[in-house]
Amino acid sequence: MSLEQQWKQLDEQGDEELRSLLQPRKLQRLQSRNPLQKIKSLIVAGLIFSVAITALYGYLLVAYPYWPITVSLIVVIGFNVWVSVTSWQLYRQINPFVQEAVLQEMQHYYNSVMNWYRLQERVALFVYPVALAGGFLLGGMEGSGKSIEQIMSKPIMWVALGICMLILVPLCWWFARWMFRKSFGRYLKQLKQNMDALSSPG
Amino acid sequence: MSEKEFLAQVQANQGIIYKLVGLYVTDKEEKKDLYQEVLLQTWKAWPSFRGEAKFSTWLYRITLNTILTWQRKEKKMELRDDLENLSPAVPHKSLQQEEAQRLHWAIRRLAETDRAIISLSLEGFDNGEIADMLGISANHVAVKLHRIKQQLQNVLNTGK
Repeated sequence: MSLEQQWKQLDEQGDEELRSLLQPRKLQRLQSRNPLQKIKSLIVAGLIFSVAITALYGYLLVAYPYWPITVSLIVVIGFNVWVSVTSWQLYRQINPFVQEAVLQEMQHYYNSVMNWYRLQERVALFVYPVALAGGFLLGGMEGSGKSIEQIMSKPIMWVALGICMLILVPLCWWFARWMFRKSFGRYLKQLKQNMDALSSPG
Repeated sequence: MSEKEFLAQVQANQGIIYKLVGLYVTDKEEKKDLYQEVLLQTWKAWPSFRGEAKFSTWLYRITLNTILTWQRKEKKMELRDDLENLSPAVPHKSLQQEEAQRLHWAIRRLAETDRAIISLSLEGFDNGEIADMLGISANHVAVKLHRIKQQLQNVLNTGK
């Protein structure tokens, strides 16, 4: 028997449970577990968080009218707005239901996940130091009941701020990177391997 | 085209989905998830189906796209070491069924993209059609197919 005949012989029967899904009402209720759909949901969650945190920054801006805090909050709010706009654009670009040729489809998935990661990385690199410095100053003010000028007049506080930044910023960045790799590392590797295999000549 | 027509077409061609999903996933739950995702993708893409290609060709493309962009579970695929240990799923299978099962086993030992290429070829698609579906050139397909067939024959002959 030829390979083609053997292929035709292969059992094509699924189970009853799967066949029962072929009803319009059931199809409409199906939830996609597509990786791009997951990323879209994460972007929406990020946008909601971003709006909430910006509102909190707005409140702090009014509650603590000290110039170093005002400056860091304005910078962070500006960055939040930029991130929100970029996230929204990315959200609109990602389409889990586009049907191209297999290689192009895999490239679309790979690029979408990587674009989302790069955005997260930019957020991490910029927001962590500013948020850390803001938190340090705000915490110092609340804890000691002194003004920022009084707190930062001691050289030891500058050293402490520097050490916190040197340790926590790379740590947070590394943690975010680890989380991403844990969630999508294996998947990206699988996509890359398949894209390379498909586009290689032999 | 109507919803009814869509369901009739999928019903008539659902074997394609089962066959392809079975080549990539062994876990029962994951098979079910993947089957559902293929159905959903097909359902969402249905309004764009113009009938220029055959429904089965279109379904093949969607199924392969969904499988190859699916985020697999951590579980490792259970591949038996050699063909001799392949236990019969059906107690009294015919020789034809046994041969078909051997082929299924051998294809599953190939690289993921190779499985897609050989399944399309065995289904009767020509190199041009395969190239169109995969997004590579027909020459590329011919070279790959030659190598995959040799590899497949080797696996079938040696049973490893």
